[in-house]
Amino acid sequence: MLLTLDLNDSRPLHEQVAGTIRRAIADGSCRPGERLPPARELAAALGINANTVLRALRELRDEGLLEFRRGRGVSVLSRPDARAVLAEAARELLAEADRYGYGPEEVIHIIRELS
Amino acid sequence: MTRRPPSRGTPSPSTRPSTEGIAVSSHTPARNDEGATSRVRLAAVLVWGTLVTAVLAVVPLALRDRLPDPLAAHWSGGSTPDGHLSLTGDLLAGLLLWGVVWAALIGFALHRTVLSTRLGRAYWWGFFAGWPVFVLGVQGLTLFANLGVADWRRAVLPGWTVVVVIGSAGVAGVLAGLLGRGAPDKPREHPRPPSLRLRPGRRAVWVGRTVNPWLVGLSTVSLLGALVVGALGALGTLNAEALGIGLLVLVPVTLLGLGTASVGVRVDQEGLRVGFGPFGRPSRHTPIDQIESAWAERRTPAQVGGWGLRALPGTRGVTLMLRGGDCLVVRRVTGGEFAVSVDDAERGAALLNAYRAEAVS
Repeated sequence: MLLTLDLNDSRPLHEQVAGTIRRAIADGSCRPGERLPPARELAAALGINANTVLRALRELRDEGLLEFRRGRGVSVLSRPDARAVLAEAARELLAEADRYGYGPEEVIHIIRELS
Repeated sequence: MTRRPPSRGTPSPSTRPSTEGIAVSSHTPARNDEGATSRVRLAAVLVWGTLVTAVLAVVPLALRDRLPDPLAAHWSGGSTPDGHLSLTGDLLAGLLLWGVVWAALIGFALHRTVLSTRLGRAYWWGFFAGWPVFVLGVQGLTLFANLGVADWRRAVLPGWTVVVVIGSAGVAGVLAGLLGRGAPDKPREHPRPPSLRLRPGRRAVWVGRTVNPWLVGLSTVSLLGALVVGALGALGTLNAEALGIGLLVLVPVTLLGLGTASVGVRVDQEGLRVGFGPFGRPSRHTPIDQIESAWAERRTPAQVGGWGLRALPGTRGVTLMLRGGDCLVVRRVTGGEFAVSVDDAERGAALLNAYRAEAVS
């Protein structure tokens, strides 16, 4: 699974981790029934604390995306609903817009023009 | 303002900026002109196999009157026998020895995927010719030794005849394998290596994992065995020697099984890291500046020579094969190739190529 963290993102790290895992599940990188790499491995890869990853995983479990099974690790239960995915994409779009100096209002304007 | 209906039911988030541009590799489909060859192969194995079966069944029955009952059927070391079988038992043993391999040959001829590689064809033709020589040779020797002997204990078999049978089976197998292996495998067409866009201020990593369920099962069973042996030893039911031997076998099997049952693959700015076992140790790291390109490819154990860490002569490629299917392949700047079987390899390869491009520029 491909995971990305935005170093300039002001959100708490665990939220970002949850976001990127949610996205990986949404784009089919990890399908329902599949097991996630161990939290330790994810943390080492991202260069963050394992507890942060565990917190993110617990959040996703509470959302119903993940399932924790004793001895069998963490596996994907279901795909996130469309709204959560779109919200994540929109958040990214806003971040990108911010880099070009565009505010949310202008982004909304662009979306209106497109639709 | 016009509203367009969404083109797809589920919007694919992979078209979002952060992951866009992953080129999908196309896997070349099996060539169709192999149909005729495979029919010939099937006919050959059916006719040849029937012939071998018939000889294995008819010859002993025809010689029945001149054979002792039971037959001498086993010689260890010296030329005097130390085991015997009834004629029926010997007949069935011979048929079984051949039948199992024959069935496998027919199966592979029907299934065809194994025979699509040169190595697979070499093995197939090798067993096609060599195994009947072995089985017929073994049965022939048994009959020859027993022929005209009143009692099975008198059936003498010189040791060198066995060597001759095994040797000629080997020669026949190797020759048939060389003749039947056919053209070398076409070099795989490498699709345009996938890549993706890296954005500044972002840390992107890819993590993949493969588990071989058979090895997990094996090490679990072995672990349970070790626990049982240990408990029996603690209770004093098992003597020290049995305890020692039991643990000496079961503990390494458990550790080795667990250590090799899974691999973790990680791609980050530093390059590719492949770690064994639950703790990712030992691990093997390929620095990003050592990597020329990466791509995903389907590989099967038959293509690379089996499971485990596999190197085929003449290819300069090493494959870490835990299961057939999606593999992440990396070509080093020095020319060698390294492949590891892992799910979702396409994204991993794309990220590697992106980091590679970044490191070069």
